[in-house]
Amino acid sequence: MAKKQTAKPVDSQLKEAFIDFCLEHGKEPASIYKFAKDLKMKEVDFYNHYNSFKALKKHIWADFLKETIENLYAEESFVEYSSREKLLALYFTLIEVLKANRSYAMMDLQMMRKGDLKPTFLEVFKKHFYKFIDEILLQGKETEEIIDRPVIGDRYSEGLWIQTLFILQFWANDDSKDFEKTDAAIEKAVNVAYDLMGKSPLDSMFDFAKFIFQNR
Amino acid sequence: MSERKEQSRIPISKIQRASKFVSTGAKVGGNYIKHYSKKAFNPKMDRSQLDIDNAEDIYGSLSELKGSALKVAQMLSMDRNLLPPAYQEKFTMSQYSAPPLSYPLVVKTFQKTLGKSPDAIFDTFTKNAVNAASMGQVHQATKDGKKLAVKIQYPGVADSISSDLRLVRPFATRLFNMSNAELDHYMSEVEGKLMEEADYDLELRRSKEITEALAGKIEGLYFPKYYEEYSGGRVITMDWLDGVHLKEFLATNPSQEIKNKIGQALWDFYNFQFHELRQVHADPHPGNFMFMDDGTMGIIDFGCIKEIPEDFYENYFALLKPGFMQDKDEIDKRFKALDFFHENDSPSERKIFSTVFLEMIGMLSKPFQYDTFNFGNNAFFEEIYAMGERVSNMKEVRNSNGARGSRHGLYVNRTYFGLYNMLNQLDAEVKITKPSWLNGSTEKVA
Repeated sequence: MAKKQTAKPVDSQLKEAFIDFCLEHGKEPASIYKFAKDLKMKEVDFYNHYNSFKALKKHIWADFLKETIENLYAEESFVEYSSREKLLALYFTLIEVLKANRSYAMMDLQMMRKGDLKPTFLEVFKKHFYKFIDEILLQGKETEEIIDRPVIGDRYSEGLWIQTLFILQFWANDDSKDFEKTDAAIEKAVNVAYDLMGKSPLDSMFDFAKFIFQNR
Repeated sequence: MSERKEQSRIPISKIQRASKFVSTGAKVGGNYIKHYSKKAFNPKMDRSQLDIDNAEDIYGSLSELKGSALKVAQMLSMDRNLLPPAYQEKFTMSQYSAPPLSYPLVVKTFQKTLGKSPDAIFDTFTKNAVNAASMGQVHQATKDGKKLAVKIQYPGVADSISSDLRLVRPFATRLFNMSNAELDHYMSEVEGKLMEEADYDLELRRSKEITEALAGKIEGLYFPKYYEEYSGGRVITMDWLDGVHLKEFLATNPSQEIKNKIGQALWDFYNFQFHELRQVHADPHPGNFMFMDDGTMGIIDFGCIKEIPEDFYENYFALLKPGFMQDKDEIDKRFKALDFFHENDSPSERKIFSTVFLEMIGMLSKPFQYDTFNFGNNAFFEEIYAMGERVSNMKEVRNSNGARGSRHGLYVNRTYFGLYNMLNQLDAEVKITKPSWLNGSTEKVA
């Protein structure tokens, strides 16, 4: 998950140390000064990379997603997937990545308020998510898995973001063996999303209504 | 399989599933109203249209549930071996219609259980399922030039078994004319078997055991080899068997000679399991048998194995001994041992049940009374259905407190009945092989 390809990048060192601290103490470090000191760094070293713990957290989450996407592309057949399968694969792999960091992820997810669509710790995560989603939505539109509709056609990604938050929360509350229920939830949620975005009877109805209106 | 429609919506929560059953119940109720109102005008109408309507509605709702509910549909269709033909027809289809898992979830399952994706393990691997199993789906793969079948289980199947069965309960009592006690008795055995079936590690071990024990014992049968290195958790890999299902096979108009040959192999297959292995492939579903043009047959899916306990074996097959029907003491002893009789039965109940059960045994064991038996004889099967319908409508039987018949009998009866049914469809004449102690002069009971 290294950001730069140097031997021991300071930023990933910081992230690891921060996660460790949170896991061991059950809370964030008291101050950046103390945190840097424990790492035998100067406070300014921290600020060279992040301006607060909040910012650091955003990057930790963004790294989860980046790792997920790297894993996806490492899978040979991934490029051949349909748009729907790519989104499924993204969620499945993301959950696997998060599983390796569940204790940490739970701390943030449990703090999240219900209905909060813009949790701060997911800000950078969201940017990367949109980038990924835009690509697969484009693919979907090309293959006509997804129908481009006026106005709402541009807002599909927002819907998928809400779905992502739902899946994260579902996973946080999932107590089934090996999170099998989350797997099922992902499968069903993505199917619903793609069925809604795909061609539906409403499109034909709308088209028909328009025709009648124009030709009466 | 393109004709399998991917479901856009599967009832997820328990409440949704429950409401599904309620709506089915309502529909079935409606069918009865329809039936009786039609009957008011046309008194000659029989139940078969009603049965078809009911079967369609039940099937429709159960097939949307998949997992164990789907299994229950099949079970009810085959276990209630006295079920009207309309239900049978509809339910045997249920195996083929579960909505498929997405490929990414298949990949994930592989990574979880085997640590690698299917692409990394096999030379080729089909992205879509080629077949549905009731608790999962089957993909085709190749490795080193060998065709393999890879079975993958749906996530969370084991968890949902108990709650699915509880949901089926109220609905089953009504639709299948079962008393609560009878159902209890039945459900505990079914639940245990379903849990076993959901355990792929157990299935792998048993499949290996039983196929090795059977290998080369019966001419014309072959079994897949199982690959432990590519199996585990929710994945089982075995040889791919060519061949077609019974319906398609019959459509090719095989000769009577070939049909008899297959029928014989089937009979011997079960005979060997019952009497030599004392454990039996208890899922005689048409989808588990692959037929070849030359009259050989592959048998798959050893997920549902019934182990036959010694004392049950002795008591059950004693019913088939020549002269059993005339021996009053023997009847009394065996019926008690098999729970056909209860301790606190009144003499009149004893009389009713002994008549009913003797009649049923006489009917179902009829093939055993002959050296060769022609299963193509439809009259035999119609008699069985007619008797089943009559018995399940008998007031005394319906109101009987407590279930009758040993629970081990459920799967054994199911197996025999499945076997009879397949032989009937094959229209096969079979030489009745049986252990020597069952031989002797026999009374012919109609």
